[in-house]
Amino acid sequence: MGLSLSARHIVKRYGGVLALSDGNLEVTSGEVVALMGANGSGKSTLTKIITGVVAPNEGQLLIDNQLARFSHPSAAKRLGIVAVYQELSLIPDMTVAENIWLTHEPMTANFRLRGREMRTRSQVLLDLFSGTVGPALDPEAPIGALAPGERQIVEILKAISAEPRLLILDEATASLDRQQVIRLFDLIKTWKQQGIAIVFVSHRMEEIFRIADRTTVIRNGKTVYSERMENTTEQELIRQMIGDVSLHAAAHLESPAASPVRLRVEGLTAGSVRGVSLQLHDAELLGLGGLQGQGQTDLLLALFGAIPHTGRVLVDDRPVAFRHPDDAMQQGVAFVPGDRSTEGLLLIRSILDNLQLPSWARYGFPLRMPKAYSDATSAARDLNIMMTSLDMLVSSLSGGNAQKVVLGKWLMRKPNLLLLNDPTKGVDVGAKGEFYSLLANLRQSGTSILFYSSDDEELLNLCDRVLVLHDGRISAELRAAGLNHANLVAASMGTEQRL
Amino acid sequence: MSINRLQRVLKRHSYLFALLLLVVALLINFSLQANLFALTTINRNLANSLPLMVLVVGQTVVIIGGGIDLSVGAIVTLGNAILATRIAADASPGDIGLAILLTCGAGLLAGVINGLCVAYLRLQPLVTTYATSFIFSGVALLILPRPGGDVTRDLRTLYLSTPGGIPFTLWMVLLIVVIWLLARGTRYAQFLFATGGKPDAAYFTGVPVNFVRFSTYLWSGLFGALAALALTVSTRTGSPHVGDSMTLQSVVAVILGGTRLSGGQGGVVGSLIGVVILGVISNIISFANVPSWWQTLVNALIIIGALVGPGLVRLARKAVAR
Repeated sequence: MGLSLSARHIVKRYGGVLALSDGNLEVTSGEVVALMGANGSGKSTLTKIITGVVAPNEGQLLIDNQLARFSHPSAAKRLGIVAVYQELSLIPDMTVAENIWLTHEPMTANFRLRGREMRTRSQVLLDLFSGTVGPALDPEAPIGALAPGERQIVEILKAISAEPRLLILDEATASLDRQQVIRLFDLIKTWKQQGIAIVFVSHRMEEIFRIADRTTVIRNGKTVYSERMENTTEQELIRQMIGDVSLHAAAHLESPAASPVRLRVEGLTAGSVRGVSLQLHDAELLGLGGLQGQGQTDLLLALFGAIPHTGRVLVDDRPVAFRHPDDAMQQGVAFVPGDRSTEGLLLIRSILDNLQLPSWARYGFPLRMPKAYSDATSAARDLNIMMTSLDMLVSSLSGGNAQKVVLGKWLMRKPNLLLLNDPTKGVDVGAKGEFYSLLANLRQSGTSILFYSSDDEELLNLCDRVLVLHDGRISAELRAAGLNHANLVAASMGTEQRL
Repeated sequence: MSINRLQRVLKRHSYLFALLLLVVALLINFSLQANLFALTTINRNLANSLPLMVLVVGQTVVIIGGGIDLSVGAIVTLGNAILATRIAADASPGDIGLAILLTCGAGLLAGVINGLCVAYLRLQPLVTTYATSFIFSGVALLILPRPGGDVTRDLRTLYLSTPGGIPFTLWMVLLIVVIWLLARGTRYAQFLFATGGKPDAAYFTGVPVNFVRFSTYLWSGLFGALAALALTVSTRTGSPHVGDSMTLQSVVAVILGGTRLSGGQGGVVGSLIGVVILGVISNIISFANVPSWWQTLVNALIIIGALVGPGLVRLARKAVAR
C-alpha cells in the first residue's frame, strides 16, 4: 500500500537564490515524519519538489528505490504522492462531493457521473470526522458556505479519496479546532496502519510530539538533523532549527517604559487575529515576530483600518474606530506593505507620482507642481534614493530603492505611528542598512513604530521589545535579556523556553 | 425547507428567477394578446426565437467557462452566407447535407481561431472575439456581397410544421434541453464549471484548464453555425448583417437566465428562458401600442430592470442584515 521515499542531496536554485543546497528526507510506509524548519529554511521548496510542482537542479528522488523524475504534479499523483495545502484547490461554487471527486469521479460506461455514488462515498469520507463538524458539512453543501476548518477537512478528504501512498500535510492543522485535530490524528494513526507514509509539516511543537515518529529539520537550505521523536527534546529541535544558540541579546536602547503610550490595543480581533492586546510607547520600535501567517499582517491591516475588526484601539488615549485607511491617515498613521509590487507601488508611474500619491490634497487646485517636485526631491535626497530624475518610472528602480519610495511616500506625511509589514523582504543588505538608519531617525523625531519582520535576526537587532504571535495570539513578550533567538523561536512554535 | 436549503436550491437552479420573470411577462402579454397561447402564435414566436435559442447554447458554455464570445453574431452571418449561396431553390438532399457540413465546418474553424487566441495565446476573450467578429463578417461579405439567395421552400415547410400537433421548433427546443441535461452529468461538465469557477484551484487539481477553455469556443462556433441553419431555413435568404444584433442579445439572454458573466455556474435552461423573455417583452411592447420611437427605450428599460432585479434584492437583504 504505502511507499518509501528517499530524497537525497536535493539542490534547488531560483535564479541567483539557493533555496536548497542539501535537502534530504526519508519516509517509509506506515510512519509519520515531521518536517521542520524556520521561515525561509527551504522546507516548502523540498515538498514542492517531492510533489512534482518544481524540478530540482541536482539530487535524487527515489520512490521505492527507483529513481523518479516528475515533470508535472500529475506525474507524482500517479505514483500516489498527494499533498494537502491550506484549502488552495477547492472550487467555491461546487459542492463538497463534486470537489472531492473532481478529475476522478465515478462514472458509468457511457461517461455519465454516478451522482448517488459520489454522494454516498463522500458521506462515508465525511463520517470520518463526524462529531467534530457541524451539520452544514454534507456532500451537497457548496464549498463557499463552509467555515475555513470545514474547508480544510474537505481538502484532506479530497486527498484521501485519491488513495495516496504518500500523504504530505502542509500546515494542514492551521484552521482546525482542537476536536478536529484530535480526530485527524486518530485518522492518521489508522492511515499509518494501512501503510500510508505521511510527511507532517507543522510549526506546532505540541502536535509534532503527539503524532510524529521521526523528525527532520532543515536549516538554511540543508537538512541538518533527523531523529526519532523519543530520542529528542523540544530544546534540541529548536537548537537545530536556529543553529548555535546565541544567548547574548543585541544591545538595545533602553526600553522607554516611562514615555507616554501612543497606541493602546485591547482585545483586537480581525482575520486571523484572535484577541491581541498591546501598548506602544512614543518613539518606541516594537517588533512583531513569529512564523508567517500567525496574524501579524492582519493585526497591522486592522490597525490601519484596512480590514474590519472588533476590540478597542486608542491613539494618544483617544478611542478610534478606523473603518478605512483614510481615517487612519488622518490620525497620522502610515502603513508600509510587504509586497511592494502589488500593494505598495504604482509600477507604471513615476517616482514623483508614487511619492506624492497620498499627499496630492495638500497641493491645491490646480496642483502646485513646482512645490510637489521640490518636496519630493528633498524627500528622495533624505532617503538617498538612487535615481536620475523624479520622472523615472518606479519599475526601473532596484528592490531596495523601490522600497525607499514606498517608505518615502509615508514619511513625507510625518506620521505619528508607522506600521511596517515585513518591509525588508527581498531588499539587499546595503539598502537594509539605510532603511534601519531611517527608522532610527524617525524614532528620534518621535514616531512610534510597529514592525513585523519574518527575519528573526532583524527583529533581534532592531527592536526594544518583540511580541511573538502564534495562532493569532501573543505567545510571548520578549525584552532586554529575554530577547534572544532561542526564546524567539520557542515562542514562534508555541512553546516555553527561558534561557 | 429551512432558509439554507432554500438558498441552496435557488443557487443550484439558477434559472428559477428567470422562470418567475417569464411567468410575469407571459401574464402581461396574455392580457394584451388574447391568442398568445394559440398553436399558430406559439409556432410563429418559436420560429422567430429558435435561431437565438440555438445560439445561446454555445454562448452559455463559453460564459460558464469564464470567457465570452462576441463573435457569435458574425458566425451566424457567415453561416447564413454559406447556406444561402449553396442551397438553391431546387437543392437535393445531398446538396443540403453538404452545405450544412460546410457551415458547421466553418463554425468550428471560427471556434478554433477564437479558442487558440484565448486559451493558448492568453488573449483577452472580450477584445479577441470582438476582433475576430470582423474577420468572420468580412469572410461572409466575400461569400455574399449583397443580399440574395433563394433557399428551397421545402426546408421552411419542415421548419414550420407541427408533427403530432407540436411545433417542429418546439421539438428542437426539447432536444436541446435533453442534450444539455445529459451533458451536464459528464466529467467534462465538471471540468467546465471548475475552470470557470476558480481556474487556479482547477489547475492544481489536475483539470486541463487550457483545453477546456479552448473547447468552449468550439462549442460556440458550432452552435453559431446551427443557429445560422435555423435562421436561413426560416428566412430563405442571405443577408450581410443578419447576425449583428444576435451577439448582444445572446449575452443578455444568458444573464437574464441566471448565469453569471464571471463564470462557474448557470446553465442552458436559464438562457433558453432568457430568450423567450426577450421575445415576450418585444411582443408586449408592440401589443401595448407603444409608439415606435419609444419601443427601443422601453425594451431596454425592461431588460435593465430584469438584470438589476437580483442585485437590488441582494443589496436590500444586506441593508436589512446590518
